[in-house]
Amino acid sequence: MIPVGIVASISLCYFGLLFAVAYYADRQRERGRSLIDNPTVYSLSLAVYCTSWTFYGSVGRAATSGIDFLVIFLGPTLMAFSWWFLLRKMVRISKEQKIVSIADFISSRYGKSATLGAIVTVFALLGIMPYIALQLKAVSFSFELLTVPVIQDASGIKQYLPALPETVDTAFVVAILLGLFGVLFGARHLDATERHEGLVAAIALESLLKIVAFLMVGLFITYGLFDGFADIVEQFLTRFPERKALLMLDTSRVPYPSWFTLTFAAMMAVMFLPRQFHIMVIENCREEHIWSAMWRFPAYMFLINLFVIPIALAGLLYMDGNAASADFFILQLPLATGHPWLALIVFIGGFSAAAGMVMVESVALSTMILNHLLMPIILKLYTRGGNLSRLLINLKRLGIMFVILLGYLYYHFLGESVALVNIGLISFIAATQFAPAVIGGLYWRGATHRGASLGLICGFVLWFYTLLVPSFVESGWLNSSIIEQGLFGINLLKPTALFGLSGFDLWTHSLFWTLFANIGCFVGISILTIPSSAEKEQIGKFVDVYHKPSGRQQHHRITKAPSVIEFVDLMAKFIGIKQSHAAIAEYLGNREIDEKGSLSEHELPQLKRFTELTLAGSVGAAPARIIIDNYLAARGSHMEDVFNVFGTVNLSRAASREQLSVLYEAAHVVSSGANLQTTLDEILMIFTDQFKFDLCVIRILDEDRQTLTVRSQRGMTSKHFGESERNLNMETFIGETFLTNQVSVINDSDFTTKPETAKIIRREGILSFAHAPIAVEGEPIGVLSAFSRSAKGIFTEEFVELFRNLAGQVGIAWRNAQQTDRLITAREQQRELAIAKDIQLGLLPTSIPDVPGVQLAGICVPAKEVGGDYYDYLLHEDGRLDLVIADVSGHNVGAALIMAETRTMIRSRSDRAGNPLEIMQELNHFFYDDLTRAELFVTLFYLQYRPETQQALYASAGHSPPLLWHEKKNLCTRLDCEGLIIGVKDSFPYEQKSLHMEAGDVLLLYTDGVIEAENSQGDFFGEARLTKLLETHSHLVPQELIDLIFEQVRIFSGRHSFHDDVSLVVMKLDHNIEQATSAKLADDAEKIS
Amino acid sequence: MTPHKVRQTKEAWVIFFILGVVMLNFPFLHIFNRDVLFFGIPLIIVYLFVGWPVSILIIYRFSVSLSRKTHIEDDDTEQTPEDRT
Repeated sequence: MIPVGIVASISLCYFGLLFAVAYYADRQRERGRSLIDNPTVYSLSLAVYCTSWTFYGSVGRAATSGIDFLVIFLGPTLMAFSWWFLLRKMVRISKEQKIVSIADFISSRYGKSATLGAIVTVFALLGIMPYIALQLKAVSFSFELLTVPVIQDASGIKQYLPALPETVDTAFVVAILLGLFGVLFGARHLDATERHEGLVAAIALESLLKIVAFLMVGLFITYGLFDGFADIVEQFLTRFPERKALLMLDTSRVPYPSWFTLTFAAMMAVMFLPRQFHIMVIENCREEHIWSAMWRFPAYMFLINLFVIPIALAGLLYMDGNAASADFFILQLPLATGHPWLALIVFIGGFSAAAGMVMVESVALSTMILNHLLMPIILKLYTRGGNLSRLLINLKRLGIMFVILLGYLYYHFLGESVALVNIGLISFIAATQFAPAVIGGLYWRGATHRGASLGLICGFVLWFYTLLVPSFVESGWLNSSIIEQGLFGINLLKPTALFGLSGFDLWTHSLFWTLFANIGCFVGISILTIPSSAEKEQIGKFVDVYHKPSGRQQHHRITKAPSVIEFVDLMAKFIGIKQSHAAIAEYLGNREIDEKGSLSEHELPQLKRFTELTLAGSVGAAPARIIIDNYLAARGSHMEDVFNVFGTVNLSRAASREQLSVLYEAAHVVSSGANLQTTLDEILMIFTDQFKFDLCVIRILDEDRQTLTVRSQRGMTSKHFGESERNLNMETFIGETFLTNQVSVINDSDFTTKPETAKIIRREGILSFAHAPIAVEGEPIGVLSAFSRSAKGIFTEEFVELFRNLAGQVGIAWRNAQQTDRLITAREQQRELAIAKDIQLGLLPTSIPDVPGVQLAGICVPAKEVGGDYYDYLLHEDGRLDLVIADVSGHNVGAALIMAETRTMIRSRSDRAGNPLEIMQELNHFFYDDLTRAELFVTLFYLQYRPETQQALYASAGHSPPLLWHEKKNLCTRLDCEGLIIGVKDSFPYEQKSLHMEAGDVLLLYTDGVIEAENSQGDFFGEARLTKLLETHSHLVPQELIDLIFEQVRIFSGRHSFHDDVSLVVMKLDHNIEQATSAKLADDAEKIS
Repeated sequence: MTPHKVRQTKEAWVIFFILGVVMLNFPFLHIFNRDVLFFGIPLIIVYLFVGWPVSILIIYRFSVSLSRKTHIEDDDTEQTPEDRT
């Protein structure tokens, strides 16, 4: 025996450790790192199946009745084969439906039935109560065994705490403690999700400890106290040959039917005990974990059972065959052989086994109680307003304590008399009752709510009668006459031999009758009843969970729909503000919100479904449905089926036939090339006829008046409606559609936000309408509208898509018409420009004047069709040769006109006016008004060459200074001359300079297009390059020089064409200029004489 | 693995499940339920404690091969209940 202080403090330390692990796991989860998201932890947590019943009870059963304890573990091993399809399907469904408990699962499958949820909860509570009692019994008994020298009745913990009241015993203290831990692990805070990572982490650790403790003590007894398994068996058989039956089957205690019964019960229990369902299905992180749990969990059970028989036999050997306390051999053996530390480890292991089971079971059951028993009542009393989340979490905590205390009461009044194993089996048979409803519901479409309810009720009534009643009798609670004579003395109603079925053990008898009634009612009633529509929807989600629904579901819409915020507020009432905000953020994260900051009409039913699912994750499916339904009912909103404008065609993601045909026909009309009005009319006709709208209108923006005017209309005629114009403002939906460039859909005209629209709509009896912007390259140019007098809710998501596409077609038609107009205009302009170009080119000199000793060449290349550059050679009768080069700013028609005017002016005046200066002044004066008006200006260079003297006069109006190559001096100079560009100032004192040209000199006149030619780096060709070219190639004839310059400029700019007009004039004096000139003079003199 | 192979494995799986239920039950157990010691241990206990790990081993083999396959397996190939029985 060990001092109570040590046992108590080690137990508390151990609990502290468990809590630390749980706390750490919860924290990690908050950070997004799951501690339990791995197959090993999942498999270990499943071992919550091995309770103190396994830990202590297996040895007890092995020592008293034989090897049938094994079936409790062989059954689950066999069941593990089925996990691959059965468990995986359950997990998949639960995740998709946010199932929180087995009651939730069953009620969800049968149309989210609140009644069924309540039935399952009550039965689960009744069925599990003995099981919890069993754990309390095991812990308190083992505690006392460790700390109290001799087991005395009703002493226990009071020995150390005498102040405790009379009714309080060790089990009560243990119950309270376990309850507290259940609250700490399972209901610390309210969570939107159904999973408790901390709890699972603690359970996994406990499972690890259980097996370590059991293996340690097993090895110690088998190989420490004895010489192996065979040695124990040999000693046992020599000492107690009469108990050989313990190692055999088919004995009076272990008949074959009982073996079969227990295997089956264990197979079902491992799936449908509320705690197993909770850990396996609800707390499952990933489906893949099932793969490895399928063999790890059976392996765990195999190991933990390896030493059960040796320990049992060794216990019997040590206790001289006294099996009275066989349940605790595992603890007594180390104590009796003087190894209290080992006993302490065993105690902790057993404690783990009990605590784990109680915690999970109480959390699972309290969730069920809260969701299926209390919630319907709360919702009945629930008046709007007030935050329920606080109340809910406290109720959950109370529920945990309640479940455990119920177990305690069972233990207190009944438990003492019954062996551990028997109590456990009562619960196993109870869990088996859930099997038909669950498995049938998973694979059989015909299973109905009534069938499941009645099956469960019958199963449980019989369970109560055939198992609980005998146990009540055994504990002296009930008179044994009921067993001996049957209820009311009717022989056929004997609880252990119902309807005369005798000769079987208690379990087989009970299992047969309960399942017979259960399955019989379930199948029979299901065949006779037809599932409701709510049920049918759920059947699909359960039976066909792997098959994604093909085709779209029926369209629904919510009338008087709540806003997003209202949904959030509703959730907050049940799951807390923080949780609900997190949930909605996640939901909205991947959805489009319209310009009003709310969800579209068609998103709302989805949001409703999401809200329901989120609430289901916290309160279960049936209560969540009630909450939502109540809430909507209270607002006066309800779900209604949407009138299907597409008739019988079921809409899939691919467009429907009608949709395609309308779009096809519209596109056909658009491409037919008819005029705009015909196209618009025809599109409206196709649309209106196909979908039976009462009115469809196309409005196009009138840019001058800034109003939307009706361009086409089809359907009912009304002065106020179709024909009226709409201003560009947000007061009407049409205006808003245009301004926001977004589709406006009003599926229920009772709820329009614009008073102006509401007035018209009501008068015209419109029930729903929609407007889509007609846009060209994203810019709205008009609005397409459709109105219906016959139905609300026509505009489904798909339909709006079609509507938008159609508006797009109208846009294309409009753009096509516009482009055709523009194309015609452009072609006409093009032709006129070509004419202008020809004319302008004709204005340039076509021939070179014949001046002896002077070679000339000139070129003008406009950047576009017409340009502003101009050059000319004018040979006068007196022998003067005038060279002009001018550049009008711009290269458009305006520039060309000015250029032509300049030419005319110069041509007409150059004969009369004398020198360049006079011409320049006259030009400036003449052009001042024209150029100022046209906002143009002209640069011009004018040079007058007298062949007889080889003198030249020149003047410049802001033109690029020409270059002159002096051959004799071997020098290049610029002909700078002061002068303002023409058209800036009315009168300006232009400067005139003179120069003397000699044989071989080359004069180069150019416009700035040459020196301002740009390369890709942005550098200009520049005067320096031009000068250099002139210097190096002055020997070339003028035309060659021009060609060379052009070539160089093109190479430099890397382009064939130029940005600006480019003009060049080259004048070169021959080397024999003197002779040529004198010959000419003589010739002229001769003519005169 | 081909769909055919996947299907074959699944069918084998169901057969093993049924086999397990049969072999760990009456009348099969009766074969080993004799008063015979096998290396000092009663035969039925040897049978159960060997049969058990063997079935775990079978599950292990299956779960390894099947879990590898689920990566390529579409859930739509999930057997219908009729296939399973």
